[in-house]
Amino acid sequence: MSRFIATAAIRGARAIVDEADKLLTDAVQKLGPDTPVAFPNTTYFLPVIYGLTAHKVQKLSDLNWPLQHAKDLLPPVPRGNLWLPYLGETLDAGMATLYAEEIIEGVRWAKGEQPEVRNGYKLNGPIDDVQMRAWGIQMVDGRMPGFAAIIGAAKSNEVAVKIVRELQSKGQLVFLIGNNKGRSIIDQLLESGVELGYDTFTVTFGTDTVSAIYALGYATRAGISFGGFKAGDARANLLYNKFRCFAFALALGPVDDLKYATAAGAINYGFPVIADTAIPNILPTGVTKYEHVVSLPFDDIAGKDDLEKAERLVQRCIEIRGIKIKVAQIKIPVAYGPAFEGEVVRKENLRVEFGGKGGMAFEWLQTKNLDEVEDGKITVVGPELDDAPMGSKMPLAIMVDVAGRKMNKDFEPVLERQIHHFTNGAEGIQHMGQRDITWIRFSKSAVSKGFHIKNIGDILHAAFHNQFGAIVDKIQITLYTDPAKVKDLLEQARVVYQERNVRTANLTDEAVDTYYSCSLCQSFAPTHICVINPERVGLCGAYNWLDCRASYEINPRGPNQPVPKGAVVDASKGEWEGSNKFVYEHTNMAVQRMTLYSLMDAPMTTCGCCECVMVLLPETNGVMIVSRDDYGQTPSGMTFTSLMGTVGGGLQTPGMMGHGKFYILSKKFISKEGGIKRVVWLSKNLKEEMAEELKEVCEREGVPDLMDKIADGTICTTVEQLVPWLQEKGHPALAMDAILQ
Amino acid sequence: MPVEIPVEKWNGQVHQVKLGGAGGRKELVVGGENTLPFLKFEGNIPHRPAVAIEVVDQPPQGWAEPLVKAWGNVLQDPAAWAKKAAEYGADLISLRLRSAHPEEGNTGADHARKVVAAVLAAVDLPVIVLGPEVAQKDNEVLVAASEVGRGQRLGLGDCLDKNYRTIGATCLADGHVAIAKTPIDMNLAKQLNILLSDLGLPLDAILMDPTTGALGYGLEYTYSVMERLRITALMGDKMTSPPMICTAGEESWRQKESKATAGVPQSWGEQEQRAILWEKITAIGLLNAGANVIVLRHPRTVEDVKAAINKLSA
Ligand code: SF4
Repeated sequence: MSRFIATAAIRGARAIVDEADKLLTDAVQKLGPDTPVAFPNTTYFLPVIYGLTAHKVQKLSDLNWPLQHAKDLLPPVPRGNLWLPYLGETLDAGMATLYAEEIIEGVRWAKGEQPEVRNGYKLNGPIDDVQMRAWGIQMVDGRMPGFAAIIGAAKSNEVAVKIVRELQSKGQLVFLIGNNKGRSIIDQLLESGVELGYDTFTVTFGTDTVSAIYALGYATRAGISFGGFKAGDARANLLYNKFRCFAFALALGPVDDLKYATAAGAINYGFPVIADTAIPNILPTGVTKYEHVVSLPFDDIAGKDDLEKAERLVQRCIEIRGIKIKVAQIKIPVAYGPAFEGEVVRKENLRVEFGGKGGMAFEWLQTKNLDEVEDGKITVVGPELDDAPMGSKMPLAIMVDVAGRKMNKDFEPVLERQIHHFTNGAEGIQHMGQRDITWIRFSKSAVSKGFHIKNIGDILHAAFHNQFGAIVDKIQITLYTDPAKVKDLLEQARVVYQERNVRTANLTDEAVDTYYSCSLCQSFAPTHICVINPERVGLCGAYNWLDCRASYEINPRGPNQPVPKGAVVDASKGEWEGSNKFVYEHTNMAVQRMTLYSLMDAPMTTCGCCECVMVLLPETNGVMIVSRDDYGQTPSGMTFTSLMGTVGGGLQTPGMMGHGKFYILSKKFISKEGGIKRVVWLSKNLKEEMAEELKEVCEREGVPDLMDKIADGTICTTVEQLVPWLQEKGHPALAMDAILQ
Repeated sequence: MPVEIPVEKWNGQVHQVKLGGAGGRKELVVGGENTLPFLKFEGNIPHRPAVAIEVVDQPPQGWAEPLVKAWGNVLQDPAAWAKKAAEYGADLISLRLRSAHPEEGNTGADHARKVVAAVLAAVDLPVIVLGPEVAQKDNEVLVAASEVGRGQRLGLGDCLDKNYRTIGATCLADGHVAIAKTPIDMNLAKQLNILLSDLGLPLDAILMDPTTGALGYGLEYTYSVMERLRITALMGDKMTSPPMICTAGEESWRQKESKATAGVPQSWGEQEQRAILWEKITAIGLLNAGANVIVLRHPRTVEDVKAAINKLSA
């Protein structure tokens, strides 16, 4: 806490409480103690006093108690030689200020001095209950992020207009308050012909700082209404506003004692204050969700002119308050939606393509600092597609820079993989692959409707905001088509891809203390739960540990929940107290324990969507693995489909288990039973598809020629045939410890 | 030979949810049981399941003949219809604002206000107001309905994962109960309850609609999801413990078995009797799965289902 601010705020609080005292005494003398006091069209009395203390003010004499309360809260002004933490006192001074300000406005209403009339224009004054409800619902359901209380006056009329327009375009409600040497933002906007009122989400409170109390009155009523709290439950109301109401104050122009004191009041609600002048910052994030007081001197903001500075100022405010942007509509010249995801663009209809055979295209998503990313900036470096010959290939680098307080480098690949899904949604655009095997085709019809390379940026900007808003705050996209540049960047990207591969490979179960669950399949397999660890994907193959972690960040109430490992029960089987407890609780107590590395003892349950099924073949002392894409008979006597009928549906069946195909490559692949050396039969399609990876794994496990000893459907489909074949090949499983104890 | 009845001891309990009971409206409480449906020997069942009658805010399109015949003229006037429903023994009214559907009238907030006010004035029973099942329009008309019925503890729905914030906030602000609907999936039902709780809506202001499948059209699926929800609630999971509401009438009257008058085997019998049976069996099945509020269409079904509830609760 800055001593400077603390001192100023406490000074300001003492002065305003004193003023309220004088005003009240005077009014009681002149009008009598029973003169009614009420804000118009509200059932919440004077809402800050009522909401935080349950005290109902209906006449002038009812103001005595809150005044005394404010006085009691007032701390002494810190002495120059004394160092205190100040925060508590400053917040108390802030509360005292708010009570005093509301008392002053109450007296003004009693005297008929409100709402204020300025140069013939009648200001709005406090927001009535009906409007509070209408906006309140929008704030709760997220259509309106929050409100911005602007206090003072901007550098110029143009800047004032720009700031308000920017805030409106972000869906913020704008409250207009106060003045700066007699000039108010309200004057500036009115002179510029800006329409002010409920319809344009701009509310004029008053041209002195005291009227800022109406903003807090609004917040307090919203807390009671939508938080479901009783009047007087101050703590709950303040916390509600801190976490639910994305409001902030923007002080334009010099900050005097009363503004500091009012700011201190706002901080109690968790509303940060941003000043466009040089004042001390209060950065620790405690009472407010983020910074308390941030100074952004207007002239120091980067920008070619004042308007650009104003735009950046608003952008910073939004970031500081952690307001999430939603992009309602993707602005592209073709239709967009899931219906177009499976489209194929054929040669005849091809306008231009990127990547594919002989081409060069890649995608690279990187995390940057918040100040390195300009949200919504989309740049094409190199030629657009207009001059490209019909059906030709262009090089393309899709560079996506994201920034966000909750962004994590590990989420980069998770987000990057979404580019495929996002771009595919555009009509007439086909996207395949990822990383440096990206292959994109634009159809003639899409391009004739005006689709350009730049539009990929529009899609990605909107889609990332909308679906990953919980972790990314800002997104900028650069699309390179200049061949030399693409080539150069591709080399850099490949280094990063390689680093990521290494990181994923090093991400072991031992390295983490939390696994993640997936309960998506419980809708049809009620007792099934996937526990997903770094070295084992979900059995459908669609979710790995990183995906689940990101999904949990994005949707903390969703199907992927953290599973704390807890104490080890049996390291070799992959059994922990934490995972057992989680599984028990999340399968309706149907599954008591679950191991992650064993087929024979409490294996994972199996639902209907596994990529492979593994089955014990006792005669061979090993296991067979059949893939979902293999329709043939297997040595177990059952096809994949009939096996699913036996093992699927959420059952835990020792000796039989569904799993993802990449699990076969894991070091934790049934490690309890001896790993890949136990595999005696494997579907041909898997052998081919994963030939290289399997070879590496066999080498890693010290059995380089193992693949030659594993049978498949073209070799045999019965155990009777399989056993002699294995003997002939000398399969290692035959000599291993008995798998059936 | 004396037979010992096995008795299960549950730790949990279904939440009690109150509808009406203020602003001149009769009070109806559902839920509160700490055992499976109708097992009075095992636990305490303080409130019987309630029967709601469905009322639509405009003459319904495509309703089967027996329904049209049974209600007659009141189909033109939701207030008169609600009154009639009360005479037929409804414990509460379920008012569907169908006319707000973009393709069936596209009426807005003003119309909703009028209809809801008229129905509220016509009966003193608790009222549930349901939107046209288009999220955007739901929000528009339900927020309006909420204002009209402020403080009278209406039910408001459908509250879906898409619009739960709006409906939840509206219920909070005006003291109503959210009808939280999810597509036959236990985890989604639970998740929606959690999300609503996060919003600050207490669990005793939620009725779960697990989405009803009619007899022959997924009844068993709904049954098993409801059963799982209820067992989990009884085992102590608060987030699955709100009472459940099922739209048995709407679903069963949608089906061919209720609608077909010709071109069906003779053994199917006469339409009216068949359709009522269909609705009745669907309803009783769902009551046995744990439905606390059952929404019906035909007056005869109402009578029969009420009789069945009486017997089962005796
Ligand atoms: S199989 Fe896939 S979708 Fe189903 S629960 Fe497991 S990880 Fe989730």
